[in-house]
Amino acid sequence: MAARSRLPLLFHLKLVHTEAAAKKPAYPPIVHSLTAKSKAAKARQLEEWVKKTIASPVEEKLATITRMQRMKFVVYPQTFARNADRWYQHFTKTAYVSGLPEKFSLGQEKSTEEKSTEEGSSPPAATQATLPGIDRDAFEDIRSVVTRAILSVHWHTKKPRTFVYRDQEQMVAPFLRNLVTGLTFSLAKYNPLLLQASVDLNPQVNFYWWRGQRIIPKGHRKGRVEAHKFQIDDHPHSQIRITQQLPEFTSMEASYAAEVPEVTVAPNLMPLFRRQYENHVFTGSKLPDPACFGHTQFHLVPDRYRRDRMAKMQQLDQVEVFLRANALTSLFAWTGAQAMYQGFWNYEDVTRPFVSQAVITDGKFFNFFCYQLNTLALSVETDADNPRKNVLWGNETLKLYDRVEDGVVVGLNDDVIRLLVQFLINQP
Amino acid sequence: MLPETIQCLKAATRLFSQTDFSKDLRWLSSHGRASFRQARRCFIVSRCLTAKSPRPRIPRERVEIPGLEVITYGERMHYVPGLAKPVNPHWERDYKDPRYYYAPPSHEMPLYKDEPCYVFHQRTSALEGVAQALWLTKTKMIPSLPPQLLSLAERASNQIPDQDERVQTAIKHACFWDTTEEKPDKTKYCNTLLLNLLHLCTTLQTSHSAIGRRNLVDSYSLMASWKRGNDLLQIRGQNGLLLSCMDPLSEVSGKEEVRGTADHILETLYPVSSTISLQKVHLYKEEVNCSGFTDDYPYPHAHTIYFLEGADPRWKLRPEQFRAKMVMFAFGNALVRAHKLYGPQPQRELDHPITVQAVGTNGRFFHFLVFQLNTTDFSRDDGIKNQVPAGLSGYRPETFSKFLALYLHGVL
Repeated sequence: MAARSRLPLLFHLKLVHTEAAAKKPAYPPIVHSLTAKSKAAKARQLEEWVKKTIASPVEEKLATITRMQRMKFVVYPQTFARNADRWYQHFTKTAYVSGLPEKFSLGQEKSTEEKSTEEGSSPPAATQATLPGIDRDAFEDIRSVVTRAILSVHWHTKKPRTFVYRDQEQMVAPFLRNLVTGLTFSLAKYNPLLLQASVDLNPQVNFYWWRGQRIIPKGHRKGRVEAHKFQIDDHPHSQIRITQQLPEFTSMEASYAAEVPEVTVAPNLMPLFRRQYENHVFTGSKLPDPACFGHTQFHLVPDRYRRDRMAKMQQLDQVEVFLRANALTSLFAWTGAQAMYQGFWNYEDVTRPFVSQAVITDGKFFNFFCYQLNTLALSVETDADNPRKNVLWGNETLKLYDRVEDGVVVGLNDDVIRLLVQFLINQP
Repeated sequence: MLPETIQCLKAATRLFSQTDFSKDLRWLSSHGRASFRQARRCFIVSRCLTAKSPRPRIPRERVEIPGLEVITYGERMHYVPGLAKPVNPHWERDYKDPRYYYAPPSHEMPLYKDEPCYVFHQRTSALEGVAQALWLTKTKMIPSLPPQLLSLAERASNQIPDQDERVQTAIKHACFWDTTEEKPDKTKYCNTLLLNLLHLCTTLQTSHSAIGRRNLVDSYSLMASWKRGNDLLQIRGQNGLLLSCMDPLSEVSGKEEVRGTADHILETLYPVSSTISLQKVHLYKEEVNCSGFTDDYPYPHAHTIYFLEGADPRWKLRPEQFRAKMVMFAFGNALVRAHKLYGPQPQRELDHPITVQAVGTNGRFFHFLVFQLNTTDFSRDDGIKNQVPAGLSGYRPETFSKFLALYLHGVL
């Protein structure tokens, strides 16, 4: 054909290529069968399911993801397992960074100075400069709110003798509740989000996800590959949910370099036990609630894990580990559930990071944690080339007060109050 | 039929046969409860899995015949058939062991008193309801809440921005959204609803700073005592959420109205005794007056008590009895305050009447109450009375305005 006309050969070739591109294919694309008994068919079935789920609205998406019940590992945020934080970091792909993010980092420099001075009668002038928009009088008011919360429970209210292992429930839980509500309302004028916020007392937070896989060792399904499924059922003491999302602490790219510990052995060696029941993904309230983003969670250390008891059992090093593990799982579950409520899941990774904060206390000692969820793609297929990691920031333990004597709080630590205020003022 | 069922049937027929019936009756009556000898399950792997508890042995009656010496086998230190069982003198440990402690009978206890005391606690269901409560507290009921109180919530400056929408969101959250199940159970729903509504009201703290001078307490034990006629009465127990304030509530009705109540005649409950349904106790401490807090509590004035109904399904109260409970506990809190301020002696007329509010709900219906204590003299039936303006409203949007009005009382 090229030889018959006078046009050069290359020109003809170019014409042929463009014609082929403009013409639609006559046959549909060749894909693997859907119903054959083959691995390729199974992969295609999964692909179709993923496509269908991505296309559905959020409620249906959540129902589809949590519909199939299988044996899953139940992850307890407050666990007796030793070195649980390393295991949980591996399950949730979280890197731990010691110290709080820059927003709250000013508190870290001051804390070493403050600890040397024992009395908390009047805060030094330098601390006021670190709190934007809050002057000395307002800080004094907030101090008095905290003092009254401590005294009303530990000194003023006549309580009967506490029963075994119910000390925290009777003494510390009401104090924390008063503290949370008192501080929320006092700081509402600095953070208008708190006026529209929803404060839940004893809420429920659930999350269900897949991570890692194993080959089934025995049974009629022997030799097949099965993904590990995890479920967290958490009951924080209280939490604040807001209508807008908090801004990120660091960019997602900054988390690429972070290190996540790898655990090569199976999860059940932690010890972690499998059960099968309904898979729940829940932030504390159902989908239609306008306050669907999380702000701060407050956790209470139960009687079993109190410092004096751990010291008696010679496990003082595990105290910090327990707190870290608790913060990690609770915040991962909360941020993960928030992300799933927005439509992100394993096969549709988050486009913006989800951020939440937590305060864990046993009445006297406070620990502050911040969590940023950068990725939800944790299963084997989606995690293969996923450089993103989730990040947990946490600080060392701070004591709020020394003791209560004759109706007066001795040794009130302003650092803790300042951090609490900074946490609650955090807004987009 | 299974051998076990045959055995059970045999046991059942044996139980109800004529010869055993009297023995079992004695056992029943002496222990006050039915001890039915049903097979119980034993969780052992090495032996059989069901066993019957052994038949209760009724000890043989010991007969004392004066003049006859009883020959026992005590000296021989072993059982001898034919001889009587020795009776050993009563022995008491010289140290206290809680595992082997038997309480003395009530009339030997140190707090025993001959005169009974009638106690009203959080599980009391007053038979005559509000009428009984009004008689016991010498109170006159005014059918509606005072208008100046209700107008507090009508003013636009006192309303929450987007009030209707936010109230509806709060109700929806409590009703539907708070749980992974279809609906939360009733106690949880009641609790969440009340806390959500309170939360909404407290968001007004930015504009009304006096709300910051209040404290909400979950569990506190109230104790108050007074004498009505010839009867000693006491109020005790944990009743609900208490919102207490640094400043006292102003009185709701003026001095003339208070004096006017002297002409009001209380509705008697004759022939029913006024202390019916109250628990009668002989062991009590006299003159107890405790608000549940120490004297230097920074929020000494009780502002509002929030009652949640249906917390325990065993002690469900009907609406009438629930209102009576609200009246009694509001009175109790006011009385404790009066005793602290004016002393335990009965006062004919208080210079500054003490006002306490109460809100009770079962999730659907809200009961509002304002109690004004004018007098602590309960010996006679005449004289100045206390006042209770009260109202009940069904499930309507105006309910939240009343809730808000009661909350804001004392702030402005």
